[in-house]
Amino acid sequence: MEYWAILSGIEGNLTAYEAVLADIKRQRHPVSSLYLLGDVVGPHPESEALVQRIQKQRRGELEPQICLGWWEEQCLILYGLGRISEPTSLIEKYGMPMVKTLWDSVSRQTVEWMRSLEFGIYELDCLLVHGSSVGVEDTLTPETPVQILLDRLLRFGANNLFCGRSGLAFQYEIKESAIASTIQTLNHAAQTQSVTITARQIVGVGNVGRTAGEATYTLYDPGTNRVQFQTVRYGHFKGFRLPNRSKTIAAKQRARPPRLEMNQKKNE
Amino acid sequence: MKIAVMSCIHGNYEALNAVLSDIDAQKADKIFCLGDLVGYGPYPNQVVEMIRSLDIPTCQGCWDEDIVEGLNSCECSYPSVLAEKRGRVAHEWTNQEIHPETRSFLATLPMVVQEDNLCFVHGSPHSQHEYLLPDIHAFTALERVLSTGADVMFCGHTHVPYVRALSEGTFQVRISQPNADPDQTGRFEAPLKRLINAGSVGEPRHGRTDATYVLYDSETQDVALREVPYDYQKTCQAIIEKGLPPIFAWRLAQGMEYAERAEDPTHVCER
Repeated sequence: MEYWAILSGIEGNLTAYEAVLADIKRQRHPVSSLYLLGDVVGPHPESEALVQRIQKQRRGELEPQICLGWWEEQCLILYGLGRISEPTSLIEKYGMPMVKTLWDSVSRQTVEWMRSLEFGIYELDCLLVHGSSVGVEDTLTPETPVQILLDRLLRFGANNLFCGRSGLAFQYEIKESAIASTIQTLNHAAQTQSVTITARQIVGVGNVGRTAGEATYTLYDPGTNRVQFQTVRYGHFKGFRLPNRSKTIAAKQRARPPRLEMNQKKNE
Repeated sequence: MKIAVMSCIHGNYEALNAVLSDIDAQKADKIFCLGDLVGYGPYPNQVVEMIRSLDIPTCQGCWDEDIVEGLNSCECSYPSVLAEKRGRVAHEWTNQEIHPETRSFLATLPMVVQEDNLCFVHGSPHSQHEYLLPDIHAFTALERVLSTGADVMFCGHTHVPYVRALSEGTFQVRISQPNADPDQTGRFEAPLKRLINAGSVGEPRHGRTDATYVLYDSETQDVALREVPYDYQKTCQAIIEKGLPPIFAWRLAQGMEYAERAEDPTHVCER
C-alpha cells in the first residue's frame, strides 16, 4: 500500500507546510508521491520562502508535482503573463489594496517559475487540478449539483478528480448512474440507448495554509481507491489529531436523506 | 404554439429566403434564430437586415461574436492549420464587408434567449464555440440543458440537425466529510430534457445541399427537422465572384458532412 499525499492552498504559509511534511513522514504506510494542487503562494510574507522550500527538497523528501492555482494565475496576470490583461477577479474578490499586497509577496523570478506550472496533472485515471477541468476559478463543493460534478469528470475522462479550490475536505462518490438517450437525425430514425457510467468520485483535498493552526490534506491509495483525510494541528494548537475517518468507495452505505440542493427532483 | 428555429445562416441570403418561405408555408407562429448570421457567405449585411426587419429573437453566434470582439478564438477551434487559415480569410473579408449598423446590431445580440421552458443558444450555454454533436456523452448533454433551467434547449453551431431526448436519468451518490457524520447518501432523478439542434440554413453539413431548420410545437412537443431546397449554385457563384475562398462554394455544393471543428468539441476557448 502506497499513498499519494495531495495538498492544496498552502497560500504562502510555510509553517503549515512544514507541519504537513512532518505528518507525511510520520505515516505508517509509505507516501510515494506528493502533489500540490495550486495556491502554493498567496498574499503572505512567507510566499517567497515557501517557493524556495518546495524547489529545494531536503534529503529523503519527495519532489512535489505542482499545478497552477488561483493565486498563481493572479500573479501571472499582474506581471502581464496571464491569459487576460487585468486582474479583475482579484480586485472583485479582495479589492484594490490586494493588488499591491500580492505584488509585494512574489518576485519576478518566482512568477517566472509559475509560468512553468501545468494546469493540471493526469496520473492513472486521476485528474489533479486546483479548481476543476474547466478552470482554476471553478469551485467544486459537496453542494455542487451532481450533473456538474460528473461533467467535470467527463471533460477529461477521469474516474477520480482531486481539487482544492473550495478548501474543503470531502469525498463525493457518484455511483451507478444511468440515462436513456434517444437520438433522431435526418438520416436515422429515433434510436434509444441506455447509457450507464461506472463509479467515479470528486475529492476536495482540504486546505493547508488558510486556517491558522490547522492544516488539512488528503492521502490517497490509487491501488485500493482509499481516501483518507488528515488534519494537522500546529503552532499554538500543536499536537497532531488523528484522522477522523478513513473512506473507501467500497465502504458501507448508511441510508440517510441527503442534504443536497439540486436542480433535479429528489427521489427520497 | 408552433415555433420555427433556425441557425447558422452565414450570409447565405438565397437559403434564408427559401427557409422563410417554408416557415411561412408551415404556418409557424414565431421564429427564433440561433446566430451565426455572418461568415463564409457573400451577403452578411442583407441577412442581418432581413433578421432585423422581421424582428426575430436571435442569440449571438461565434462568427457574430468574432466580428464584434475581433478574432480571438484559439487554434483549437479548427481541425487543421489550413482550415484555420481559410476561416481567417473569411473573417477578414466579412469584417471589411459589413456596415457599421450591422456590426452594432451583432453587438446587441444576447448569448442566450429564453422563453417559457425553452432556451436558445448558439453552441452551448457555456460558450458559442462549443460543439454539442449528436454523439456527445449523454450526461454532458444533460448538464448543458439542466444548466439553462429549461426543458428544451435549442442549439446550432454543428450544422447538423438532430433531436435528442434525455430521460430516466438517475444518479446515486455518497458524500463523506471529515466533520460530518454519518455519510450522506442520495438518489436523484433528472426529469425529461430535450436538446434540439436546428442544423444550418446557409452552410448545411448533413451530407446534402438543402438548408435545414426545425419546427417545434410547444403543445404537442412534436419536432420536425425540415430540409429546404434552394438555388445553392447562385450562392456558390457569389462566393467566387466576391473573392471568398472557393472552397466555401465547393463545400456548399456538397453539403459537406465533415464539420470544421476541433478534436475536442467541448473545449472552451479561454482566450
